[in-house]
Amino acid sequence: MKRINLLNVGRILLLLTAIVLCFTIVDMLNTPDKVVAQSEDDSQPKIDTTSNFYCLSCHAEAYNPVQLPSGENLYIQIELADFADSTHDRNQIGCVQCHKDISGFPHPIKTARTLHEYQLQRDTACIECHEVQANQTKDSIHGFLLSQGEVNAPTCSNCHDPHAQPYMEELTKTEHSEVCANCHNGIFQEYANSVHGEAMINDDNQDVPGCIDCHGVHTMADTSTAEFRNSSVYLCADCHTNASIMDKYGLSTQVLDTYVADFHGTTVTLFEITEPGQTTNKAVCYDCHGIHNILSVNDPNKGLSVKQNMLVACQSCHPDATTNFPDTWLSHYIPDKDKYPIVYYVTLFYQILIPGVLGGMAIFVLSDAYRRLRMKFIKPKPVEVPVEGEEVIKHD
Amino acid sequence: MTDHNKKYERFNVARRLEHILLILSFSTLAVTGLIQKYALNSISIALISFLGGIETVRIIHRIAAVTFFLEGVYHFILMAYLLYVKRKEATMIPGIKDGFDAINELLYNLGLRKEGPKMPRYNYAEKMEYLAMIWGYFLMGLTGFMLWNPILTTRIFPGEIVPAAKVAHGLEAVLAVLAIFLWHFYHVHIKKWNWSMFKGFLTHHEMVEEHGAELEKIEKGEPEPEIDPVVYKKRMKIFTPVSIVFSVVMVSLVVFLANYEETAITTIPRVYAEVDVFVPRTPTPFPTQIPSPTPDMMIANTWDGGIDYLFEQKCGLCHGESGGLSVKTYSGIIQGGNSGMAVIPGRPNESLIMQNQAPGNEHPGQFTDEELERVRIWIINGARK
Repeated sequence: MKRINLLNVGRILLLLTAIVLCFTIVDMLNTPDKVVAQSEDDSQPKIDTTSNFYCLSCHAEAYNPVQLPSGENLYIQIELADFADSTHDRNQIGCVQCHKDISGFPHPIKTARTLHEYQLQRDTACIECHEVQANQTKDSIHGFLLSQGEVNAPTCSNCHDPHAQPYMEELTKTEHSEVCANCHNGIFQEYANSVHGEAMINDDNQDVPGCIDCHGVHTMADTSTAEFRNSSVYLCADCHTNASIMDKYGLSTQVLDTYVADFHGTTVTLFEITEPGQTTNKAVCYDCHGIHNILSVNDPNKGLSVKQNMLVACQSCHPDATTNFPDTWLSHYIPDKDKYPIVYYVTLFYQILIPGVLGGMAIFVLSDAYRRLRMKFIKPKPVEVPVEGEEVIKHD
Repeated sequence: MTDHNKKYERFNVARRLEHILLILSFSTLAVTGLIQKYALNSISIALISFLGGIETVRIIHRIAAVTFFLEGVYHFILMAYLLYVKRKEATMIPGIKDGFDAINELLYNLGLRKEGPKMPRYNYAEKMEYLAMIWGYFLMGLTGFMLWNPILTTRIFPGEIVPAAKVAHGLEAVLAVLAIFLWHFYHVHIKKWNWSMFKGFLTHHEMVEEHGAELEKIEKGEPEPEIDPVVYKKRMKIFTPVSIVFSVVMVSLVVFLANYEETAITTIPRVYAEVDVFVPRTPTPFPTQIPSPTPDMMIANTWDGGIDYLFEQKCGLCHGESGGLSVKTYSGIIQGGNSGMAVIPGRPNESLIMQNQAPGNEHPGQFTDEELERVRIWIINGARK
């Protein structure tokens, strides 16, 4: 660094500064040696018992876990390679910044009886630096469940191993989703077989949604609420109306417009706007397409472009529906001559009829108004114009 | 010319009540229908909220629809009575004269004719509106009940008929409402206020202008032909049962169509009934410690013969090179730490290491009993290198 500056600027003053700095650095590098040397001489050692170095001298190889009263193992070994790669170590976060109760050895006796309790105690440290995320989590379904005392609900460290967590951007979508899969494996297995999951896991496709793209990172909402249901349409629409993504796969971006124009979509949209807390029984995207197990509409076994499959989807809400019923839904198409011609021609008929009828009426109405105005403002010619007509108008 | 203040009865009370019923049901249908058709318009959203939400709006729309439908049924029975029993002239049916009237009126308006046409009891404008009304009544009734009963409809027709009915229902409504504004409002409210639907009569001047032919007829004073009471009774014998059957059928039909179909389930079940939300993965086993070779106790009773390994494993983490006692080297352990001599050769009881490792002591690194015994023997034997 110094040499580059020197080459670039080449000023004597800078050279002098550089030399002074070099000496300072060398001096600083030597300092730890001096401390060790001093401590050997002194009867009282002056080891920094709060340095990561000091902690890791034991914990790097502390293979034996501490057994908690619940019988669970609390692993206390820090994998050095992972730790070095973690965002905490890269930002020089000291162990004791989180482990505040520890200032040296021996450590204070742990009060947590279970692993979950221990993690909850540790979470209080996270909030000091990650306040926004911690508060978001408190408002999320996970935070709600934690506040209800649900021991399976995740604490910060269940998802983020503080000793190994790299930067979020460095993780792939699959790695993100694997975190969720630790607790939601049933759903993850379904997702893994979906059109989205297959593309993500097999092809490392970054266009498809992973768990957090729909559910959020810390803000994941309770998916059983009316609010979630009513607004879920926009989760899908965010990507499915984005031509830059959809064009790659030849998918329509009219899916939202055509849905909103239809009975289901109109109702759901209105509920979302006027009464978001009320559950509607009208279908949202996932009622027909599935949630985590979404398949391509062309899937031979379950794809909705196969009419039988569509009927099955219809029947989940319309149990009495029969063979013709699926066609009442235009499958996100805008009707044209080939696709849904009846609807197209009825529309066309009215597109001609309405201006035709109204235009004809307008001719009569305007001509009548013209006559009335003319008779009112222009003196009628004395010849043969019905006299009483004029009188009556004045009379009126 | 006769007295200009003379009034001519046009609509009796029953017809005026019919009209009021029509105003109420039609306006309700128009408002609650158009806010459904243009649901995402901000005015619609405000009105929908005001009326108590979209589901309530739909119920109001259906109540108005049934009212409108039954009003129509009443009207048809009335027409049957007037035309069949009383043998009145079908004054609403358009004919060729109405076409000429319309053209002549247009020419007159444009100043191409000196006089407007003399028009009958119902002139071309009214006949046109009445026909549009009848057309709309059937079309809206048919498409409306289709939309109300899509499952029943698709048992009979192809599925596409339902969205087609929706388009027709909505656009016909637009046409009807605009026509009411343009045609009806202009003719009876804007060009001049026509009170006949409320007060029941027209003035002489209004009659001249709009129903000249009828006025002439009235002034001729042609008497209404009397109906022979026997013939009247005979006709009533047919009319009464037919009209009763017709009204019962129509009322039953509307009750049936309003209640027949439970189109959809009312509550959506939780989507994930089968897959549990919380399904933890089996945790990956924590890497276990590599097993250490077990040295022969007898031949290994020296520092280099295995005791070093023991100390390295159990104490080396803390007692390394960070100061104080170091177990890394033989000289280090013999030299001892800050608290004193860790190992005094030949004297285990005075060696700090043995005090530290005594059972019950909370020193973090702890030898097993077997290992401690090895160390004790090593010290007794002089802690050899």
